[in-house]
Amino acid sequence: MTHPAEDFLKTLSNQRLDRRGFLTFAAKGLAVAFVLPVAGRIGTVAAAAPPQQLAGAYVRIGTDGSITLAFGGAEMGQGSMSGLAQILAEELMADWNQITVEQSLVNPIVSYLTGGSSAVRGRYTTLRNAGAAARELLVAAAMAEQGDPARDNFKAASAAVTHIPTGTVWPYKALASSAAAQSVPVDLRLTDPAKFRLIGKPVARIDIPAKTDGSAKFGIDTWFPDMVFAAIKHCPTMGGTLAGTPAKPSSAIAVVPCTASDSRGIVAAGSTNAVAVVASNTWLAFKLASSLSVQWKLPVSTNAVDSAQILALAQSLATDGAALVAEPAPPPGYTPTTYAPVIEAQVASELGTPTLEATYTLPYLPHATMEVLNCTVRISYAGGVAQSCEIWAPTQSAAGVANIAKALTGLAPTQIVVNTTLLGGGLGRKFELDFVSQAIQVALAVKKPVKLTWRREEDMANDQYRPCAVVKVKATLDSGRKIKAWSYRNVSQAILGQRGWLPPGAVDSQAVEGSVHLPYALGTHVSEWVPLLAGIPVGFWRSVGSSINAFAVESMMDELAMAAGIDPFIFRYDHLTDARSRAVIWAADILSGWRKTLPAGRAWGMAFAESFGTRVCQVVEISNPTASSVTVRRVACVIDCGTVINPDSVEAQMQGGILHALNATLWGQSTFAAGKVKETNFNKFRVMRIGEMPQVTVQIITSGEPPAGVGEPGVPPLAPALANAYARLTGVRRRNLPLFPNASMGGG
Amino acid sequence: MIALNVNGKSYNVNVDAATPLLWTLRDTLGLTGTKYGCGIEVCWACTVLVNGQPEKSCKFDTSSAAGKKVVTIEGLSADRSHPVQKAWIAHQIPQCGYCQSGMIMACAGALKADHHGKEILSEMKNICICGTYQRIKEAVSGL
Repeated sequence: MTHPAEDFLKTLSNQRLDRRGFLTFAAKGLAVAFVLPVAGRIGTVAAAAPPQQLAGAYVRIGTDGSITLAFGGAEMGQGSMSGLAQILAEELMADWNQITVEQSLVNPIVSYLTGGSSAVRGRYTTLRNAGAAARELLVAAAMAEQGDPARDNFKAASAAVTHIPTGTVWPYKALASSAAAQSVPVDLRLTDPAKFRLIGKPVARIDIPAKTDGSAKFGIDTWFPDMVFAAIKHCPTMGGTLAGTPAKPSSAIAVVPCTASDSRGIVAAGSTNAVAVVASNTWLAFKLASSLSVQWKLPVSTNAVDSAQILALAQSLATDGAALVAEPAPPPGYTPTTYAPVIEAQVASELGTPTLEATYTLPYLPHATMEVLNCTVRISYAGGVAQSCEIWAPTQSAAGVANIAKALTGLAPTQIVVNTTLLGGGLGRKFELDFVSQAIQVALAVKKPVKLTWRREEDMANDQYRPCAVVKVKATLDSGRKIKAWSYRNVSQAILGQRGWLPPGAVDSQAVEGSVHLPYALGTHVSEWVPLLAGIPVGFWRSVGSSINAFAVESMMDELAMAAGIDPFIFRYDHLTDARSRAVIWAADILSGWRKTLPAGRAWGMAFAESFGTRVCQVVEISNPTASSVTVRRVACVIDCGTVINPDSVEAQMQGGILHALNATLWGQSTFAAGKVKETNFNKFRVMRIGEMPQVTVQIITSGEPPAGVGEPGVPPLAPALANAYARLTGVRRRNLPLFPNASMGGG
Repeated sequence: MIALNVNGKSYNVNVDAATPLLWTLRDTLGLTGTKYGCGIEVCWACTVLVNGQPEKSCKFDTSSAAGKKVVTIEGLSADRSHPVQKAWIAHQIPQCGYCQSGMIMACAGALKADHHGKEILSEMKNICICGTYQRIKEAVSGL
């Protein structure tokens, strides 16, 4: 499995760093380069890259007093830009108001793919080491100035080094140049976590002020006076291609056929599945694209892009499809396919007549980020020959953008500059490169700087959707009301497989996230996956497979608890195998306390899920059930994500994950009729308004464990907790999402 | 040519009279703080004040703004000192931040119309999918 970013990294030659991965050099002060995991995976850093690419690849301590962290990820609201700066400032002994963050240009050292709730947890140790190394270099410079070799006579604080015996103080800026000549000492004197000043504190996020006065620049805000504006029009039937270039409307600047960058389901890489209309402003481009008369060549069959047909196929596969075993791991001599009948027979014999058997169904979901897909490209020419290509994109994959620009323009990596802008939501969608590829194609065709923007309707009709799934679960309780056998079968499309990143016969890790390595004792059990061959393009959606599997697992746990006549907290507690998970559900029970206090007409439900290394338990209180609605009153949420960087950000991410999941649970779906999506804008895709938002209370369990994910783990437990509350309130078990597919649109 | 007054400055813009004010602000004047979300007056990301009244600029003809005072997020204050901006920072509200220009303008419009505290919320139908609603509720309770 190869991501474009890896090819990009391989295009650069390598040079060894010192054994801990530090590169130090003088550049108007001290610069410390540090290897983040994406580069670390190939073991070396690309120091042969041209200086302009390395220019952003470090912590810089300037002779002007500035302290700058180069940020190589995507800030899409999750707060990692600020969180990473907090970690650095902690070890660097700088105050929070002394540090600034600069979005790095695409760069082999600091650029990373933003996904998997990995930004902070993957960089915590590296950034602490980098901050500490920079601090020790500065102290070493002061020691040289003072002529005192006793390290303990020096103290670093507030971006200054003090010689304790004499009281001499050097601000870092006075040491920055000479520090670059020092070598990194063996002992980095990492700060004792008990003495952290910034890590674990609710400091104000760096990116917030600019988001209150219009100055924050998202991709769609890229603007220069000589640019032109493009709108995209995809074939309305998924899988269709352009039959001929349409005539240019008189008020348009150009009409440009665009090919698909990647194969995704029925959409084949290289097929001309869209046309861009270029005009003097975005509104005109939108208008011309909407009314453009286009002849499309439609696919021979749309069966593979029709929700009803896909669902019928998935339901039949849930019963008799050929499964691959994800857990337990097939023993030597077996493959995931050949092991299936063996383990199934073992589990079947333990199951006997199952205590419960249930099928759960989940729909396709769009990302619907508030900022629609867009990308700006400026290609410079000399004598008609392209000299350089600069791109501004709200992307979760800057290296992927660089790589596709290289492929489309034929320019060298040194001629390509990628600016990662702020993202108006990413949610996994802005990891993809389709919109970037189109913008580059348009820029090449019109030879002018161009911003390509997708209308909301194009954005929602041409997503790479959260896969739909049918999950069949059987379980049997023993005489002690404990789970004795568990059979789990998930039928869904392969996100990795659709990209060609999955070897034949392998289990798609994304599909089984949240159905394997469960923290519960399940007796004799099997977790299977049945690949669903359908043509809908599928992708990574906040919490990915866990958003599907937590619903099935935690609904079934609740059904079993009811069947056993045991309180759902206690039933889970009795099956949990680790102390941290138990502590989380216990804390959630105490935090909510609703079992004792709820009046008639209200009910609570709970669910627990571990994802991205983080444990979350949510308790949901509801009332007023009708055929098309329910009132969600409160959510209590307890999280253990190990070491917390910014508790205020953790709380915000839980509030956010809960809202995202509420929208999906109550109303969210994308449905396809013969390759055409029905939900194309917020008038047909209901989301919560402010008056409907329940009160969310978040409690963080702090521990000294390593940091774990925060951006995604708030999502998975919400849907089952809500369905479990609904069952308790009404006696009706809802196994299909969304709960209210035909609800009215609500206030707007 | 249409004569506009935006954030106290006068402009003459050469756009089709039916061009939504949103796109005149963004593409012609380069005032990109006002956001496109849905284009159909449903999400409120494009909210601006026209003569003090919150309007969805995605469906507001540029010609209809002629002779009126338009205020966008860039013009709310020179230094983030408007009470709504101060409350938004104090409560650490924005996540991705994309919908927040519209949120802040809708809230500022409600304040201008002498709504306070919880009353403000019924004047704000803006869509946020990051989950900032709760902090907004807390922030407006002090306005």
